[in-house]
Amino acid sequence: MSSMTENREGSAHRGAPGPYMAGIGHVVALELKQRLRSRGWYIMLAIWFALTGLVTWLTWASWSASNAFQRDFGDVSGAGSTGPGSLIFEVVLAFVLLFALLVAPALSANAVNGDRAGGTLAILQVTLLEPGQILWGKFVAAWAAALAFLVASTPFLVIGVALGGLTPAYILVSLVMLAVEVGIVCAIGVGISALAGRPLFSIVVTYLAVAGLVVGTLISFGLGTGLTQGTALANNPQYRAYAPLQSEPMDAGYTCAGPLREQSAMHTERVAWTLAMNPFVVVADAIPYPDRTARQNFTSIGAIEGISQAARQAMAGPEGTTPCANGKVQPTYLGQKTPLWPLGLGLQLVLSGLLMWLGWRSLRTPVRKLPRGTRIA
Amino acid sequence: MAIISEQPGGQQVPDGGITAQGVSRSFGTVRAVDHMDFHAPAGKVTALIGPNGAGKTTLLLMLASLLAPDQGTITVGGLDPVRNRAEVRSRLGWMPDTLGVWESLTAREILTQMARFYRLPASGIAPRVTEMLERVRLTGLADQPARVLSRGQQQRLSLARALIHDPSVLLLDEPASGLDPGSRVELRTTLRQLAAEGKAVVVSSHVLSELDEIADGAVFVNNGRTVRQQTTEEAAAAGRRYAITAADTTALAAELARLGLEFRREEGRRPGVSLVLHNEVGAERLLRDLVLAGVGIRSFAPAVGALEETYMNLEGERR
Repeated sequence: MSSMTENREGSAHRGAPGPYMAGIGHVVALELKQRLRSRGWYIMLAIWFALTGLVTWLTWASWSASNAFQRDFGDVSGAGSTGPGSLIFEVVLAFVLLFALLVAPALSANAVNGDRAGGTLAILQVTLLEPGQILWGKFVAAWAAALAFLVASTPFLVIGVALGGLTPAYILVSLVMLAVEVGIVCAIGVGISALAGRPLFSIVVTYLAVAGLVVGTLISFGLGTGLTQGTALANNPQYRAYAPLQSEPMDAGYTCAGPLREQSAMHTERVAWTLAMNPFVVVADAIPYPDRTARQNFTSIGAIEGISQAARQAMAGPEGTTPCANGKVQPTYLGQKTPLWPLGLGLQLVLSGLLMWLGWRSLRTPVRKLPRGTRIA
Repeated sequence: MAIISEQPGGQQVPDGGITAQGVSRSFGTVRAVDHMDFHAPAGKVTALIGPNGAGKTTLLLMLASLLAPDQGTITVGGLDPVRNRAEVRSRLGWMPDTLGVWESLTAREILTQMARFYRLPASGIAPRVTEMLERVRLTGLADQPARVLSRGQQQRLSLARALIHDPSVLLLDEPASGLDPGSRVELRTTLRQLAAEGKAVVVSSHVLSELDEIADGAVFVNNGRTVRQQTTEEAAAAGRRYAITAADTTALAAELARLGLEFRREEGRRPGVSLVLHNEVGAERLLRDLVLAGVGIRSFAPAVGALEETYMNLEGERR
């Protein structure tokens, strides 16, 4: 009889996600109650708000100072025509992403083993909660706590958008991408915290993982490029005389002539996936920017656009970037047609998903294997 | 190894109780529990007794379905914890030896959360929480954060937390450690009440004097093995050492010698004698004889608790 009740419960589970989601909701409530009552979180949030405000103000101040300087000295070629908006927006966005990546491990990487050390994890495990519910609950709570930091920086991003005359889509996409990146770091942190015995260790490992994504991807791309030495078929570019007023929009400024020959080239497309995993690349590449291939005389492209373009150049490889590869003139500017961020985000999701799965395995009870030197309670 | 069964026969399928048969568990090369047998029947308080590191907590973790045994089987009310996870969990209440509390939550919130985790019907949670708070006398502190509670109050909160879903099996790991004498008496009363309600109550401890008063039976473990399983009556029937002091110890000794009893002189702070008596009837008879013989008895009582007697004998056997 009792096994029948169990079966009924089990199938109810699989059929309707109701009770399962409700369990996650209860864990999130428990976690958030604790977080909302710790003063440290509010202090961090206040510091964050002040710091983002300071960065916004400094960016604006430095822009207006240089603008005033250029006006006084009659320099007309400067950035004066573009307005401060896109600059402020980009600086604030990069800053928010950097600091969100630094804050997220602190909010997530002791979620499970901190409770284990405090003796409260086993109390959850002994209830009807399933390991997945505990893990998802912890992840959602950590993510929500980290998202509060993004919400605190939204006013400054809005200022940037408003001053620069950018579209609301801009801010929407960038906020969504920031939230996703923070979520990925939180998932990595929660997964590692379920695997590692001690909170200090898991926090350090999560910071290293973030450093790996931010810096390590650049280093491995740089070093990996050296291993991609190869050749590409190309003929010779013939550069025209410099004639700025006659040049077509986004003209490469050369024509191709002569026989195709093997030329040495770096096949960066083979290692570009490491670059794609960089959170800055993912965010920069996902943000839409105006298609400039058909527009004339833009003075400078922003940092975000620059990152995106550089990453796409790496992805295109010599076939797409070597002048006169296969005898064709290459555009110096790649359009939005080959986005890189789905690949990067996919790889990040695989990494964080793997860590969450391993974490879920370690939360199953009754426990068969315990890590050395840890107690379940 | 003499295992004295709790009930005479027919304990193959105990209803409501918890049973472990031949369970083993190793941590690396350390055998924490080695072919241990354990049974706690419904409606009784069963003490789990053993020195530090004997495997008590490991056994309790396995009984609580947190730790999987390497070998052996565990049944809770006849159900297997691995196959009937939810069913078994809703029947088990577990109070750990480490006092894990969510410090920033209030006692009421902690109990409410636990009730939700056990999927109690939402409408019944608030009255149930109030009832449990009253039961452990924390009503006055119900809306204070748990961190301001004293150790004893946290223990009581922990007990309420283990009871919130009205389990039929209660596993308490060192529930009395750190409690003042008043709270111990209170815990004793609570546990007797729970057993009277038909729950199987398992109490682990190495403080034996208090277990004498509450336990119906005891399982002695040492070095990861079940050393003995007996009821408190059986322990008492196995003979106990009595301590006697008299106004004139020499006269007392002379009288005991005349009665032909083997005794030992105790040269403590209060000089007296001690001797082993096989049952309480014998003790009664001896006291009467001594008084009638005109020996001025000042005290006449068991030297140690019944369970302690067994425990000390086991220690002796071990050496």
